[in-house]
Amino acid sequence: MVSFWKLRQSPNFRFAMLTLPGALFLLIFLVLPLISILIFSFWRTESYQLIADWNIENYKTILGQKTYLTFMWRSLVMAVSVSLVCLIYAYPVAYLVAKRGGRYRLILVLLTAAPFFTGIILRVTAMQQILGPIGLLNMALQTFGFEPIQILMYSNVASAIGLVYLWIPFMVLAIYLSLLNFNFELLEVAYVNGAKPWRAFLEITWPLNWIGTAIGIVLVFIPTFAAFVTPRFLGGVNGALYGNILEHQFGATGTWALGSAMGVVLFFICLIFIMIIWRTINLQRSGYTGEEF
Amino acid sequence: MSAALPHHLTSLQLRDIAMTEPALKLEQVEKSFDKVRAVDKVSLEVNTGEFFSLLGPSGSGKTTLLRIIAGLETPGNGTVHIGGRDVTRLPPYARGIGMVFQDFLLFPHKIVADNIIFPLKMQRLPEDKQKEQLNWILSLVRMEGYEDRYPHQLSGGQKQRVALARGLVSRPDILLLDEPLANLDLELRKEMEVEMRRFQAELDIPFIYVTHNQEEALTLSSRMAVMHNGKFEQVGAKLDLYNNPKTRFVAAFLGSPNYIQGQIKRMEGTIAILDWRGLDLRIPAPANATSGDKIDYFLKHERILIQSLRESEPAKGENRFEGTLRDIIFKGQHSAYFVVLENGEELVVNAATEMPSLKIRHAVEVGWLPEAGDAFLKEED
Ligand SMILES: Nc1ncnc2c1ncn2[C@@H]1O[C@H](COP(=O)(O)OP(=O)(O)OP(=O)(O)O)[C@@H](O)[C@H]1O
Ligand SMILES: [Mg+2]
Repeated sequence: MVSFWKLRQSPNFRFAMLTLPGALFLLIFLVLPLISILIFSFWRTESYQLIADWNIENYKTILGQKTYLTFMWRSLVMAVSVSLVCLIYAYPVAYLVAKRGGRYRLILVLLTAAPFFTGIILRVTAMQQILGPIGLLNMALQTFGFEPIQILMYSNVASAIGLVYLWIPFMVLAIYLSLLNFNFELLEVAYVNGAKPWRAFLEITWPLNWIGTAIGIVLVFIPTFAAFVTPRFLGGVNGALYGNILEHQFGATGTWALGSAMGVVLFFICLIFIMIIWRTINLQRSGYTGEEF
Repeated sequence: MSAALPHHLTSLQLRDIAMTEPALKLEQVEKSFDKVRAVDKVSLEVNTGEFFSLLGPSGSGKTTLLRIIAGLETPGNGTVHIGGRDVTRLPPYARGIGMVFQDFLLFPHKIVADNIIFPLKMQRLPEDKQKEQLNWILSLVRMEGYEDRYPHQLSGGQKQRVALARGLVSRPDILLLDEPLANLDLELRKEMEVEMRRFQAELDIPFIYVTHNQEEALTLSSRMAVMHNGKFEQVGAKLDLYNNPKTRFVAAFLGSPNYIQGQIKRMEGTIAILDWRGLDLRIPAPANATSGDKIDYFLKHERILIQSLRESEPAKGENRFEGTLRDIIFKGQHSAYFVVLENGEELVVNAATEMPSLKIRHAVEVGWLPEAGDAFLKEED
């Protein structure tokens, strides 16, 4: 009992509890398929047929060939930048809503998720309508005699904008929920003790809300790293990411075994990322003493 | 040389001015929230080395006034000067003050040492100086050996010591304290009261101490203000407030006195004779009082003499009444004696515990001089 109480108080345990429902979902819908994928990844494909011929050629291909590494790198850069942009954009929004939203704050937060009511394809196409060559933005520019902005048409930047738009509600929600438990009076204490607002943010707000923020980052990073729909619609021919190449193996080329191996690699990269974030929570004394939740 | 002289003089003069200025000066400070006048035209001067208490019932505006001094609220009107400097428009971090809060508000993610040096870190003091100050203040508040603990590993009293240390470590121009002992149990509160006086005396920093506990205010402070509905009812030395309350509110509040209501029958110079439900009571006549006026008279428990019947002769002009001792409540060195008079009114008398001649349900005599109590014209409400 005592040890359970101790366990309950540890930030790691909280992190685990928060992610448990997701984890169960993942077990049924991800881990079981993943095990089959893990098995397939050590087989090989011949004329759209999986052959149980155990080998590690698929991994050699992915980790040895420059093309695959390039796509992996692109996705990594994309995931990091999208997470960063989401973070920078979502923090003030969540902060304002939590601090000044009053009785409307729940509605305000749900509003950030409004685009979710329509489904991913519709949302991505909507973005295409805005950013694409015949999209709202560039059409408007051309109407007024300006050059269309090339970088917004079928590029990684366009994909990034789309992905930010797609996943930012997660970030807002995670930070908002964390700030709900945050005692804003601590900031006043900091001010009185000589901290300017930005300093008080770095010393107090940021560390005390790091767990929520980290969850937000994970929730944005992972789907971005695995994204394939958004880059296909918005990224154009040169905007393909790791997820597109992966998807390709299961579609056009029918190289299921290689695709499986790519999936396994993707899974481990995400796992490593979560571990890194987890470590920071471990090291950070996040100030949770078991009282606030 | 001659060119440098005026400059030199100026800086000396400046220092002189700074030294003669009060540590804190409030002028006509006002603050309203929607329709509530939380602070209403408050003026105050507090000098270096003073332990000043702000006493008032819940909702009287004490916290709001303290927050205005700290810069956490902007006054709607009026000015705030700290050490001769107008800080009315300055943010809290530019005011050089310390503050201690009721619920301690330590930073939960920082160890004791980091909590305490926080103000020094914000001032960018060199690290060795920080360490020096930390050790000094830790020994002052007697918290050596707790540097590496997190706040949740401390008891309430220890948290309050750390909060005090954080407020004092940078030797601020003033220290603001908002009911710092309210969350501690009685024993700890008594202990911390003694400590609080020691810190204040040793550091010579003016303390502005908010409380709704009059005992605390009377024990701790040199001067105090009683606040009511956002206004200062009376400001002055604590004994002066206790002995010579200027307003009905202060008289009714300090010392939780007996409350006597009556109507003036006739005037005898500076003395008014009150009809107190059938008894004639001599009281000091309030200004502008005439026959027929309704009067509130407040009489502190310890100002009443209690004895067995005819144990002594009444002094000239003294009120003397017979009554029955209903109950005695033992309070240590003193006891509270509950006396029911012939007119059915009950008086509480504080007197020494050792009075073998007084027995419950027996007849007793109570007496006091008119000036022992404070009389006010009844306010229309
Ligand atoms: N932020 C605010 N918004 C609206 N009204 C407020 C606010 N802060 C204080 N008040 C009102 O101002 C008045 C004074 O409040 P204040 O907190 O200063 O009282 P206090 O003397 O500190 O009381 P207590 O002893 O209960 O702490 C109260 O009527 C309170 O309701
Ligand atoms: Mg208060």
